[in-house]
Amino acid sequence: MKGVNLGEFEELVLLTVASLRTDAYAVSVKAYITETTGRVVNISAIHSGLYRLEDKGYLTSEFGGSTNKRGGKQKRYFQVTSAGFAALQQSKDIKQYLWKNIPQLSFHTA
Amino acid sequence: MEKAPPPSSPPRLGRYILRKIYDDNIYHEIEGDLREIFLERVETRNKTYASFQYMIDVLLSTRNYYLRRRKKVIQKNSTAMLKNYFKITLRTISKNKVYSALNIMGLAVGISAFIFILQYVSYENSYDKFHSNHEDLYRVRYKVYHGEDLNIDCAAAVPRVGPFMKEKMPEVVDYARAFPMSGVMAKDNNKFRENRIQVADPSFLKIFDFPLLHGDVENVLNKPNQVVLSESMARKYFGRTDVVGEEITCHSWLGSNLEITGVAMDVPNNSHIKFDFIISYETLNNQTTNDEGRVASEVEWGWYDFNSYVLLEPGTDPVAFDKKFAEVLYEERGKEFEERGRRAEFPLQSITDIHLYSNLLQESEPEEQGDGEAVFFLTIVAFFILIIAWVNYINLSTARSVERAKEVGVRKTMGAYRKQLIYQFLTEAIVLNFIALVIGLLIVIVGIRSFNQLTDSLLSIDFLKNSQFWLVAGGVFLAGSTLSGLYPAFVLSSFKPSSVLKGKFSGNNAGALLRKGLVVFQFAASVSLITGTFIVSQQLAHMKNVTLGFEMANTMVIKGPAVFGADSLYLSKFEAFRNDLLKNKEIESMTAGSSVPGAEIFWTNGIKRNEDGDDQWKTIYIAGIDYEYFPTFDIEILAGRNYSKSHSTDTGAVILNKAAVEFLNYESPEAAINQKVRFWGQPKTIIGVVDDYKQMSAKTAVSPIVFPLSEGERNYFTLRLKTDNYQETFDLSESTYQSFFPGNPFDYFLLDDFFNRQYNNEQTFSSVFTLFALFGIVVACLGLFGLSSFSALQRTKEIGIRKTLGANTSSILYILTKEFIILIGIANVIAWPIIYLVMNGWLDNFATRISIGIPVFIISGLLVILVALVTVGFKTLRTAKSNPIEALRYE
Repeated sequence: MKGVNLGEFEELVLLTVASLRTDAYAVSVKAYITETTGRVVNISAIHSGLYRLEDKGYLTSEFGGSTNKRGGKQKRYFQVTSAGFAALQQSKDIKQYLWKNIPQLSFHTA
Repeated sequence: MEKAPPPSSPPRLGRYILRKIYDDNIYHEIEGDLREIFLERVETRNKTYASFQYMIDVLLSTRNYYLRRRKKVIQKNSTAMLKNYFKITLRTISKNKVYSALNIMGLAVGISAFIFILQYVSYENSYDKFHSNHEDLYRVRYKVYHGEDLNIDCAAAVPRVGPFMKEKMPEVVDYARAFPMSGVMAKDNNKFRENRIQVADPSFLKIFDFPLLHGDVENVLNKPNQVVLSESMARKYFGRTDVVGEEITCHSWLGSNLEITGVAMDVPNNSHIKFDFIISYETLNNQTTNDEGRVASEVEWGWYDFNSYVLLEPGTDPVAFDKKFAEVLYEERGKEFEERGRRAEFPLQSITDIHLYSNLLQESEPEEQGDGEAVFFLTIVAFFILIIAWVNYINLSTARSVERAKEVGVRKTMGAYRKQLIYQFLTEAIVLNFIALVIGLLIVIVGIRSFNQLTDSLLSIDFLKNSQFWLVAGGVFLAGSTLSGLYPAFVLSSFKPSSVLKGKFSGNNAGALLRKGLVVFQFAASVSLITGTFIVSQQLAHMKNVTLGFEMANTMVIKGPAVFGADSLYLSKFEAFRNDLLKNKEIESMTAGSSVPGAEIFWTNGIKRNEDGDDQWKTIYIAGIDYEYFPTFDIEILAGRNYSKSHSTDTGAVILNKAAVEFLNYESPEAAINQKVRFWGQPKTIIGVVDDYKQMSAKTAVSPIVFPLSEGERNYFTLRLKTDNYQETFDLSESTYQSFFPGNPFDYFLLDDFFNRQYNNEQTFSSVFTLFALFGIVVACLGLFGLSSFSALQRTKEIGIRKTLGANTSSILYILTKEFIILIGIANVIAWPIIYLVMNGWLDNFATRISIGIPVFIISGLLVILVALVTVGFKTLRTAKSNPIEALRYE
C-alpha cells in the first residue's frame, strides 16, 4: 500500500480542498485552514502540498478567472479526484479501526 | 474592458526572486496567489507590513525550488558533438585541400617567424640578467665636458672613482674595476695571443655571478701575480681544468709569471663583458707604482681604461644617486674642474642596459653591442607577421562563406542552435591553428641552424624546455584560435536558413568590406617590411662603400710581437725584419703603428695650442706611427708633408688629421702648418695634416687624432701586398716573423675583414629583417592567392557570360585583378609615410646616412604589385581562359 499514505498536513490540505468544493485555490485553502484549525500556515507550504498532491493524482486542477487583485494572474482551482477520496477514505478507515481497539476510552469519555 | 486604477504592487525584488524560484509554467499562478495575499495585507494592515511579509513568503518559497521544475534539455551528448565537430573539421580540411594547405601554411609560417623573432629578441634582452644582483649593478660611465661640449663619453672610467664612491656613498655595497688588455700567454710550448684578459679587483668575482669551478672566491685575486682563467683556457693550455697552483707566463707590459688560483666557468655568451683570464689588480698596482710610492692605478682621475662597476643597496634610485654623487665629487674636485675649464661626470648605467642601449667609447665588446631600437623593430615585425597570418585565416574563412552557407542552412533546419554552429567553427579554427602551431614548431626546429648561420646568432632549441616559451606558444595558439576563429564563427553562424536554402544568398557586403580592409592592412605591412629591407640594405651598402680615405684591399696586418729580448735591441731587430720582408717582391711596403684603421684607439692624452692657457687642454686620440704609415695606407696628406728621415727635427713635430685641426680651432689645414701645439709636455710643430680617413666605421664621426712619430711601435705591422697570391706571402711572412721573433704566435688578419666586422650588427639586422620581410610577404601572398581564387570561382558565371558576349581573355584578366591592384595601391599609399618616418628615425643613428629617395618606394611598391599580380594571375588566368560553356553549365 505504499504511496497511498497521506501525511498529516497533506490530509489536512486534501480535506480542505474537498470541503471548499469548487472554490479551492491556494489562497482560499490557506484561509480555510487557518479558520478551521487556527494554524497559521505559510502560502509556500500550501503550494508545496497542493502541487505534490496533484502529482500524486489525488487532486486535479483547472485555471479559473483572474482578478485585478491578482495582477491579472489566473487562479488554479483544485478538485479532489476519486483517487483522492479513496485515499481519504482509507486514512479514515485505518483510524476508525484503531479507535475501535481502544473501546474503554470511548466509553469513559462518553 | 475598463481598467481599475493599478493597485500597489509587491516589491520588485521579491518578484524577481520568485521568478528564479519557480518554473515558468507555474510561476504566474503562484505569483498571483502571493499578490492576492499581499493586497489583502495592504488593506488590513499597511504596505510596509505587506511588503515585509511578501518577502518572507518569497524566501520561504525557496523550499519549492524543485516543484514542477521542467527538466531543461541538458546536452548530455557534448562529447559526441565534439567528436562530430572534429570529424566535420577534418572533412572540411580534406575537401578543400588547396585552401586548407594555404591556410595552414600561412599560419605555420607566421607562427614560426614569430617564434624565431621572439627567440632572437629574448636572447638580446637576456644580456647580463644571469647575475643575481643585476637589478642593483651599475657601470660607472665617464663623461668629460669642455665648457658645455661633451668631449668624452666613455664606458670605461678612471681607477679612482670606484674606491671613491665606496668611501663617500653609503649606498655603495661594493665596487669592482676591470682593466682590459691583451698579451701572449705561454705554458711550455703552448703560446697564444689572448685578447680577453681583464685585470680586476677581487670583488669582480663576487658582485658578478661568474662561478668558480676550482679555487675559493675569497682568496683568488688578493695578491699580486695571481690569475683566474676560464675552463676552456685551462683545457687549452693544460688539457684539464683542475690547474689551481700551476703557473702560466704572461708576455705583456704586465709581464710576469702568474700563479693560477682559480678556474672559472666560461663566460656566458650573453654577458656584456667577457674574459678568458682575470689577473689580480695588485699585479697592475705593482707596475704603476712610482718611486714615491704613488700608485697610478689607484689614484688616477684621468686614466680612463677601467670598466668600473658598483653594486648598490637593493632598490637604490640611480638618478638620485647620480645627483648626490655629483655634489660629492664637486666637493673633492670642483676647484680643479674650474681651473682647467673641464669637468668630469660619472653617471651610472644599469648593467642590463649595456648590451642594447649603450654605444659609448671603449665598450667591452664593441662588435657585439646590440641595438635596442632594432630589437624593438623586430618585435613589432614579429607581431605584424603573426597578425598577417591571422588575417589570412579570417579572409579565407569568410570568403568561403558562400560555400559554407548551405551547410549552415541545413544544420539550422535540422535544429542546430547558433551556439553549436559557433562551437563548430571555433573548433575548426582551433584544429587548424593547432596543426599550424605544430608545423610552425617543426619549421623552427629544422630551420634554427640556418637561421643562426644567416643571422650570425646563437639560438638553440633549448627554448623547448623553457616553460615560459610554452606559455607564450600557448598564448599565441589561444589568441590565434579565438581572434581568427571568432569572426568567421559569428558571421557563418548568422546566416538565415530560409534565405540561404532558397539560393538567394550571395555573400554579404559588410564581410567583403572587412576583407578588403584586411587585405589593405596585410599589404601595407608587407610593403613596409620590403621598403624597410631596401632601406636597411642600402644604408649598409652605403656605409661599406663610403670613401674611407685609406686603402683597405690587399692589406695584411700582423699582430706585433709581445715576446722579445731587451727593449733597446728591438728597433734594430725590427728594421732587419722589415728589410728582410721587403726583399719579397710581393710586398710593396710595410709600416708599424700603435693602431690600424678599424681598431678602436684607447691611447689618449691632453693637447692644446701652444699659445693657449691651461684652461684649453683637450683630450685627443693618439696613433703612434712610423715614416711608412701614410704611404702604406694610402692616406692623403692635405697640407704639409709626411715625416721624413731627412728631417732630423721631426721628432719634435706632429701630424694631425683634419678633425683635430678643427678640434683645435685652426682655420684650415694649411693655416695649421708650422703652428705649435703643446703635447706630451713639449711644444711641437704641426708639419702635416692628413685627410679624415675613417679610423672607425662610417657609423660614427671621425675623432681628432694626433700622429706622433714613434718608431718602434709594435702593436700592428701592416703589409701592403701586390699580389693576389696571399697564401704564399702569408707563409713567407710567417717564417720570417718566426725567425725574427721566436716564441710569438703569428696572428694576422686582412684589413678589409677586420674593418668590416664593425658592421656585423647591421649586417645581422639586415639579414634578419630581409628574412622576415620575406616571411611576411609569403604569408600575405598565400592569403591573396586563396582570396583571388575564390573571387574567380564566385564570378565563374559572370565570366562565362562576358565571354559569350565577346570579352577576350585579357579584358577578363583585367576585371578580375583590378580590384586587388587597387587595394594594394591603397596599401602602398598608407605604408609610405609610416615607413618614411620610422626609417628616417633609424637612419639618424648613423654619422653617414643615405637620404630616403622616392625610387625605393616606387621599386618596392612595384615589386609588391608584381608579386601580387603573379599570385592573383595564376588562378585567375585559368578562369579567364576557361571555356564559357563549362562556366555556364556550372550549377
